[in-house]
Amino acid sequence: MAKHETPLLDQLETGPWPSFVTDLKKQAETKPEVYDILGQLELSYEDRITHWKHGGIVGVFGYGGGIVGRYSDMPEKFPGVQHFHTIRVAQPASKYYSSDNLRALMTLWEKHGSGVTNFHGSTGDIILLGTKTENLEPFFWDLTHELGQDLGGSGSNLRTPACCLGSSRCEWSCYDTQEVCYQLTLKYQDEIHRPAFPYKFKFKFSGCPNDCVAAIARSDISVIGTWRDEIRIDQAAVKEYVAGNYPANGGAHSGRDWGKFDLQKEVIDICPTQCMWLEGDELKIDDKECTRCMHCINVMPRALRPGAEQGASILIGAKAPILEGAQMSTLIIPFMKISKDDEYEDLIELIEKVWDWWMEIGKNRERVGETMQRVGLPTFIKVMEIDPIPQMIKEPRSNPYVFWNEEEVPGGFARDIDEFRARHKA
Amino acid sequence: MALSADELKAAMVEKAEKSPKPALYVKDFYACDPDSKPRVIKNIANELVREGKLMFWSSGSTTMYATPSRVKNDDREDGV
Ligand code: SF4
Ligand code: SF4
Repeated sequence: MAKHETPLLDQLETGPWPSFVTDLKKQAETKPEVYDILGQLELSYEDRITHWKHGGIVGVFGYGGGIVGRYSDMPEKFPGVQHFHTIRVAQPASKYYSSDNLRALMTLWEKHGSGVTNFHGSTGDIILLGTKTENLEPFFWDLTHELGQDLGGSGSNLRTPACCLGSSRCEWSCYDTQEVCYQLTLKYQDEIHRPAFPYKFKFKFSGCPNDCVAAIARSDISVIGTWRDEIRIDQAAVKEYVAGNYPANGGAHSGRDWGKFDLQKEVIDICPTQCMWLEGDELKIDDKECTRCMHCINVMPRALRPGAEQGASILIGAKAPILEGAQMSTLIIPFMKISKDDEYEDLIELIEKVWDWWMEIGKNRERVGETMQRVGLPTFIKVMEIDPIPQMIKEPRSNPYVFWNEEEVPGGFARDIDEFRARHKA
Repeated sequence: MALSADELKAAMVEKAEKSPKPALYVKDFYACDPDSKPRVIKNIANELVREGKLMFWSSGSTTMYATPSRVKNDDREDGV
C-alpha cells in the first residue's frame, strides 16, 4: 500500500492541537493499510462525501452486535481499507483501566487489526477501527479468553450501559452508579449481545444532576442522581468563601483573575429559580423551589452538599441523532430509590414496562423518545401508570376545552362517536 | 392461542423467504403470530439465527434478519 498525497489533511497538522493525521501517519509506518485511510479521507475531503459503506452480515458467532461492517466504496484504489470493520469493546464501569489492561488490549488490536482506536465512542465503548472479516473470530476469542473482556452493543440492541465516576471518586454522587450499571449490564446480557428492539436503546447513569455522562441528552433511559430533602449547608464554610479563604468552584477557572468572590452575584442572583437569599450572613434556600441545578453546590463545594435523602430522577426519551436535532429526555419519575438491597427492583420494573410497550408500539427505527412524541406524553404516562406532575408541563394550557375520559367521570358515560358524527360532521 | 415455538419458527422462516423485502426487522415478524408477545418473537428470531436459518444484517445502528440464501455472502454487499 502506497502513500497518498494528502495536502488537505496535512493542513490539519499545522494547528496548535494534537492531530489525528499525525497519529495515523505514524501508525501507517507499521500498519501500511493506514495509508489508505489517509488517502480515502483526503478524497472524501475533495469530494465532500464519505467513501465508507457501512453495514453487513459480519459478526462473531452467537452475537448479533458489537461488530459493525465497514467497507470502502473504492476498494481498487484503497485496498487496505476494502474491509475495515469496527469492533466495539464494552468499557469498564466509569472507564477505569489499569495501564496493563490497556497495553494488553492494544497488543491484541495490533495483532488482529489496524491498531487504530477511538477512545471512546459516544455510547461509551472502546472503538477499535479497522479489521478484516477473517480476523474477527480470533480477536473475539483472545479478547474474551485472555483479557476477560466482552463486546459492547450495536444495532437494535441495548447499548453498553455507561456511568459516571459516581461514589468511587465523587462526593456528589447520590447513588452508586457503577454498581447499578454493572448489575444491569449483567442482567441484560442477551439484550446487549442480540437485537431485541425496534431500534437502539441506551441507559446512562449519572450520580448527580451535573450529569457527567450526558444521560439527559443521549440516553433512552437517563438515571440521574438527586435528593429529596434539603441541600446541606455549612454556614461557617459559606463565610469562608465570602471571606475569600476558600477558592470558589474548587479552584477551577483560576487561569484568570475574576476578582473577589461575590456570593450575591455569582450564586444567589443566578440561581435559576431564585430560591436563595441571605439573612444577615446566613445563606437560606427555599428547597421546595430548588430545581437541583447544582450551580450553588458546584461553586461552593465545601459549604453546600446534596441532601441526605438520595435517589435518582428517571427521564426517558433522549436521542442525539446526526441528521435531525437532539432531543432531551423527559422527566417521568422525579424520585426513585436506587438501592442494591432490593436489586433495583423499581428501576427494572420501569425499564421492562417501557420495553414491552415500545417493542409493541414503536415503529422500525424509531427511538422510544420518538414513539413517546408520536403518541403524546399523556398517553405514554397513562401506559406507564404514572400520574402527571407539573414538571411534565411546558406551559400553562391555552386550549379552553377540557377532555374527559369515560373512566374519569363518576358514573361514566356512553356515547357512540359514529352515531354522533353521522349527525355532526367533524 | 399463541403458536408453539416450532410453529412460530416455521412461520417466521417462511415469511423471511417469501417477503418481497430480502431482510426484515424483528417487528415485521410480529404478524406471524399476533398472539405471541414481541419478546417471544425476538427470542425466536435470535434462536433461528443460532440455528443458521436466519442471519443478521446490521447497519451498525439497527439490525435486520434474512435467510442465508437471501443475503449475498459477499461481505461487500450492503443494503440488502
Ligand atoms: S455526574 Fe455528579 S456524581 Fe457523577 S461524576 Fe459528575 S459530578 Fe460526580
Ligand atoms: S441547586 Fe440550583 S436551583 Fe437549587 S438552590 Fe442551588 S442554584 Fe438554586
